[in-house]
Amino acid sequence: MGIFLKDISLKNKTAIITGATKGIGRATAIAIAQVGGNVIAVGRNQLELDSLGKIIKKLKVKYTAFNCDVNDYNLMKSFINNLKKIDIFVNNAGTNIPEPFLKVKKSSMETVLNVNTKSVFNLAQLCANQMIKANKKGGSIINTSSIFGLVAGQNRSVYSMTKFGVEGLTKGMAIDLAKFNIRVNSVCPNIVLTPRTKKYLDNKEYQKYVKASTPLDRIATGTDIATAITFLASDAASMITGTSIVIDGGWTAI
Amino acid sequence: MFKKINLRNRTALVTGAGKGLGKACAIALAEAGAKVFILSRTKSDLDKVDKIIKKTQGYSKSFVCDVTDLISFKKILKKINKLDILVNNAGTNIPEHFTKVKKENMEYLTDLNMKAIFNIAQLCSQKMVKQKNRKKIAGSIIHMSSQLGKVGYGRRNVYNMNKFGVEGLARAMAFELAKYNIRVNTVCPTFVETPMVKKFFKNKQFKKSVIKNIPLGRIAKESDVATAVAFLAADSSAMITGTSLVVDGGWTAQ
Repeated sequence: MGIFLKDISLKNKTAIITGATKGIGRATAIAIAQVGGNVIAVGRNQLELDSLGKIIKKLKVKYTAFNCDVNDYNLMKSFINNLKKIDIFVNNAGTNIPEPFLKVKKSSMETVLNVNTKSVFNLAQLCANQMIKANKKGGSIINTSSIFGLVAGQNRSVYSMTKFGVEGLTKGMAIDLAKFNIRVNSVCPNIVLTPRTKKYLDNKEYQKYVKASTPLDRIATGTDIATAITFLASDAASMITGTSIVIDGGWTAI
Repeated sequence: MFKKINLRNRTALVTGAGKGLGKACAIALAEAGAKVFILSRTKSDLDKVDKIIKKTQGYSKSFVCDVTDLISFKKILKKINKLDILVNNAGTNIPEHFTKVKKENMEYLTDLNMKAIFNIAQLCSQKMVKQKNRKKIAGSIIHMSSQLGKVGYGRRNVYNMNKFGVEGLARAMAFELAKYNIRVNTVCPTFVETPMVKKFFKNKQFKKSVIKNIPLGRIAKESDVATAVAFLAADSSAMITGTSLVVDGGWTAQ
């Protein structure tokens, strides 16, 4: 690259990605591999981990799969603490159970909170500690947030609570980790076409609402988000920390 | 899947391209393959930028223009066949304490940082909308905002007023231009080592206090901002509109 445009290359960098088997996580794993990064994929479905591995190995980078539930703190801890090198952590695994506030079940609230908040925090802490220990050069952490980390939406009270939390965590982490040259940012997509949201989008009414709320009038794809995450992971974003890239076709602009 | 920053066959116009951030953006866009029209009041500055771009096999054409002179800007726009990208960058700052701001300084800053920004954005949008293949090739407008479009700071009241205004304009434009497949965003840099900022940094105390406010502990480089602008200009950010890319080393996260 030349004088002012920094190359988005992740050669010799190692990225760990949670929720890597589907949707945004899968697209991101492939994007990172396409720009030369080695991939450590964490997911719960062995078949999908294997099929992802086939795609990534073709891109001539190293691939490691770890079949694990991100809520399993002890397993995740021993895995992360044994990694020789982490340069990038894509803290992506998350879930959603849309329910109207008055009807939210205690069990679904706890399920969503455990994944989207507690595990997100725990894994971020484990990875940050390992980054500091194993790699003196710093790193980049990207939390998958959402437009519902910035605004509210129907039947998204729990999701918004957890994603607003992720936005706060991102900023707090960015301040504490800056001295280790670890940058921390989030991406805030609107509704992206993924296996999870396909269920919601199959509802014609909901699809209409999403399109009407998105000035660019289309549903985002995993690629849209993966590209932004890869940008944040690279040195092209070396002065970007404690902020969010909003990828929402204008949803939150209005 | 990763979308590269590729601007081949795209045409860009950059204002304030003689020095600092505008210069860096022009060079970065040319590096990514765009044809770049560079505007500035000072011919000798433009000649230098032209030379750099041509040295790297890029394409640029320069126009001497004061962006507050609408009639001369309109004439230049007529000479350009096609426009895909606008980097609405020309701007300046005169820091003064609120109680001491001179009326003529406030008006000078506001005429440049708001009126000219608006007028140029409008004229360029009108041209971009008319383009035949606009549905296929997205337009992208990037306003040069600032972290001071997000938070206040001492002796920056006029600049704050101007840049907060630009943030509002970007969101409204994004909404109204989405149906024409034109995206509108801002970049919000912290203090960057530009000729404008270098003047302020002659005061060593001031420079020290600025670095203290940046968690990453360094002043931004022009390339940090230029790369962000190129990312927003290209289809790598195809779903991003009506938002800001904050390049501030964590300043506004606190």
